[in-house]
Amino acid sequence: MATMTAAPSAREARAPRRRHLGGASWVTYLAAFAFVGICLGPVLYIIIGGFRTNSQITTDPSGFPSTWQLGNYADVLQKSMFWRQVGNSAICGVFTTLGVVVLGVMASFVLARYEFSGRGAMYSLFAAGLMFPMTVAITPLYIMIKSLGLMNSLAGIILPQIAFALPVTIIILVPFLRAIPKEIEEAASIDGASRLGFFFRMVIPLSVPCVVTTGILAFIASWNSYILPLFILNNETSYTLPLGVQSFASQYSVDTARVLAFTSLSMIPALVFFSLFERRIVGGLTGAVKG
Amino acid sequence: MTRSPEGPSVAGDGARRAPSPAGRPRRGGTDWRKRFEVALLTGPAIIIFVTFVILPVGMAAYYGFYKWKGYGPPTDFVGLQNYVTIFKDSSFHEALQHNGMIVVLSLVIQGPVAVVMALLINQKMRGRSLLRVLIFVPYVISEVIVGTGWSLMLQTSGAVNDVLTKIGLPGWTVDWLSDPHVAIWSLMLIISWKYIGFAVILFLAGLQGIPEEVFEAASIDGASYWQTQRHITLPLLGPTIRIWAFLSIIGSLQLFDLVYIIWGQYVASTAGTSTMATYMVLNGRNAANYGFGNAVAVVLFLISLVIALTYQRFVLRRDTEGALTEGKK
Amino acid sequence: MNGRKILAATAALTMGALGLSACGGSNSGGGSSSGGAVAMTFWHNSTTGDGKAFWAATVADFEAANPGVKITIQAIQNEDMDGKLQTALNSGDAPSIFMARGGGKLADVVKAGQAMDLTDSIDAATKTAVGAAFSAFTVNGKIYGMPTSVLPGGIYYSKDLFTKAGITATPTTIDELSADVGKLKAAGIDPIALGAKDAWPAAHWYYFFALRECSQDTMNKAATSRTFDDQCWTKAGVDLQTFAGTKPFNTGFLTTTAQQGAGSSAGLLANHQAAMELMGAWDPGVIASLTPNQKPLADLGWFPFPAISGGNGDAAAMMGGVDGFSCSAKAPKKQCTAFLNFFMQKKYQEKYATAFQTLPANQEAQSVVTGAALQSILKTYNDAPYVSVWLDTLYGQNVGNALNSGVVDMLAGKGNPAAIVKGVNDAAAKG
Repeated sequence: MATMTAAPSAREARAPRRRHLGGASWVTYLAAFAFVGICLGPVLYIIIGGFRTNSQITTDPSGFPSTWQLGNYADVLQKSMFWRQVGNSAICGVFTTLGVVVLGVMASFVLARYEFSGRGAMYSLFAAGLMFPMTVAITPLYIMIKSLGLMNSLAGIILPQIAFALPVTIIILVPFLRAIPKEIEEAASIDGASRLGFFFRMVIPLSVPCVVTTGILAFIASWNSYILPLFILNNETSYTLPLGVQSFASQYSVDTARVLAFTSLSMIPALVFFSLFERRIVGGLTGAVKG
Repeated sequence: MTRSPEGPSVAGDGARRAPSPAGRPRRGGTDWRKRFEVALLTGPAIIIFVTFVILPVGMAAYYGFYKWKGYGPPTDFVGLQNYVTIFKDSSFHEALQHNGMIVVLSLVIQGPVAVVMALLINQKMRGRSLLRVLIFVPYVISEVIVGTGWSLMLQTSGAVNDVLTKIGLPGWTVDWLSDPHVAIWSLMLIISWKYIGFAVILFLAGLQGIPEEVFEAASIDGASYWQTQRHITLPLLGPTIRIWAFLSIIGSLQLFDLVYIIWGQYVASTAGTSTMATYMVLNGRNAANYGFGNAVAVVLFLISLVIALTYQRFVLRRDTEGALTEGKK
Repeated sequence: MNGRKILAATAALTMGALGLSACGGSNSGGGSSSGGAVAMTFWHNSTTGDGKAFWAATVADFEAANPGVKITIQAIQNEDMDGKLQTALNSGDAPSIFMARGGGKLADVVKAGQAMDLTDSIDAATKTAVGAAFSAFTVNGKIYGMPTSVLPGGIYYSKDLFTKAGITATPTTIDELSADVGKLKAAGIDPIALGAKDAWPAAHWYYFFALRECSQDTMNKAATSRTFDDQCWTKAGVDLQTFAGTKPFNTGFLTTTAQQGAGSSAGLLANHQAAMELMGAWDPGVIASLTPNQKPLADLGWFPFPAISGGNGDAAAMMGGVDGFSCSAKAPKKQCTAFLNFFMQKKYQEKYATAFQTLPANQEAQSVVTGAALQSILKTYNDAPYVSVWLDTLYGQNVGNALNSGVVDMLAGKGNPAAIVKGVNDAAAKG
């Protein structure tokens, strides 16, 4: 199952017309830069906004900070609650992702490659869950979590998040798992592996790019989730990062500059997580079925 | 052995592959083993899913039959009256229209751009990893802060108009948010900005599933870059695109956070950007009409369900039948 | 990657989840007592600054004076408070002491049997000191909440900008106000800042016109009927429409928030980009946080909502909010009411007034109020023949929401005065 990475580049040298497919022209770079510029513009606005005062933002909306107010960012970083919230968010994020990935892959594998009478119904069950946003389900969900005794705990956040992330995960994973060639499965059974063995030893490595994608989506959703922690967590020490914004918004007003600083900082861990794993999206079925 | 591209299934293989509940696999004795495996692998997911999603959904549907202020158990049973009110309400019709526009425009705007970007980024270029991270940044930022930032920027006295004035184009300054003619386009701009990274990442993952050999075969046959993309890459990317479209449609139907934070619940209806979800929150939770709000949620659910089922039946059908790849021997 | 690893991971996940459920405090609900120790929970909405510090200190004092009583505080952001409170009340998990604003919303809570009747538990001294503000928390003749501050509404203005436009005296009638608006526009100043994105600041203009057009009797009747049958309601809409027709509001008022930091209507006033704002008594504090030097605005003044010609309401009547706290029905009665009475004492109310820069409900404590604006309000408030609560508080969220929508639609050119009334009457169908 070696992916034979050496072979493609050798082939590149042999077929000169490959150049269009292989290397990138300056047009590509230009388009990429333009695209990135558009994506990042507003983000830069948010980050730089954290360096200004509220008054400046009102009077000169698009200007640069006249004096760079480091106080906002420093303030946020020094508050011990910030790091604590980062920790809580990280715990929730990691466990949610693990749960979603593990349960999602198992369920998707069954839905993709087994044939049994309840298959269509099961798939529809999960797909139906996609249609119900958290905003609405929150009141009965709260009662459910309370009756399970999970109030004010991170588990009360993690388990529902796993449940709500399963539909998207399964919808994305099922086609990818279906696309694994039957030949591999047959080869594995010829070699004497059971279906479960095939699952553990071959399916999982092959589906890594897809699984990484769904894992990232689940992590981001958990990182940014606001409504559920708001209702479930009562103890300030167990707050997750989005709830931390509350401490910059008082009863009647909002400290915009600080909020911008706070949220700029809270994006960083999610981005770090993403950049660690995005490499693994590449790879996969390349050369998997060489003759 | 080479693999033929997926896509239109060869009839013979398709017949062989069609799931047949009646015709069990040859080895009847391992039926129990299969059921055990199915239960083992899907059990945990189903338990958690039913507990935290299906049951609350059921309870919400139950509340929809009451007029309920949210305190104490619901007592004022009104049957289907909430639903009648919803369907007669002109603000709901408007919200429905807006949702329809958002669904269509999202697909039309984001799809092609994301495909092109994914193709571009998939090439070997310097800084490819960094590029992927940067494109994904808008998706990573929570909707709340996206809303706050954009509303500061698009306010009539905000950054965008300010910049336009400063660079000498005061005539271009419009009321990005409250002008009904402009607002929906501002919304589409913000939605596309946020979710295009998601589409690109999905397509990138899909592109990884296309083996190199296919491209080599094409180039040996003398295909140009664009011919290759049109005839090979796009069809192979088909399943991914259809999945993305499905998720995009459902997401557009449920759009809430961005509209709520940038426009607020009241201005959304005057500016022409209200959605079914903002209608639900405005008339439900924020008016303390919890019974009514839950009824709207059920309506939203049913509409999404109908669209999803239709989509599955007609569009995804190709992917669900005979999609187990057939190798060419 | 093999099966064992997966199983191990799943096991670890489950154990981790169970373990996490143990480490996280558990909310003990309404209150519990075990062998003399009483625990209560207290929810308020001062998430930051002096307000938060005030409550922390006051609770500490109370605990010191009442050994065996422990109060756990939770500060929740104002916008999220309603939703969280409703969910908690609904599931039997209510905090012992929670913020309440009276009116129709409190009536709904009382109807569901979830607020404690305080009528007989309030100290006589407090009853006299607070006086009429209790009416906001009275449902069916019984008192269900303790008011902590009164927040009357009126027009805040910048004295400097007025002088710049050549206005020498504050307007006392709507016609004079319109004339002043003209003068300000001629001087190139945005006359009135309006945070219409949040709808309620715009609705407040309607409420005040209604206060002037409708008699006190009509307004009280509407609280039970929740319909707007009297002609005065439509007339109020027409008044607002005429006034708005002179374009007195800041550009882009539909996308301006009321108080959400920079770019809000309060921010405009704080940075001298607009001359006036119709707001409640919390405004000086909000404006102070948005000025360039983050100190209270030096030239901030106040005058009451002007009189109109005709109309069945009194020209000196006032409208405002009342902030306060209620005890949940399940809270320990003795300790909960003791806490309420405790923070209503004069010295705590004085500290409250300073911390929140607002008017305390306890009239004996009102002497500490400083600032020209607040003192003007106080005088007018004490002289007013009657004071109404904000109409969306009085009539409940459902009607309030319909009013908000109707007014915003009208100001945006999409509706009209008749539509406002119709919207209110239609809202009854939804709840």
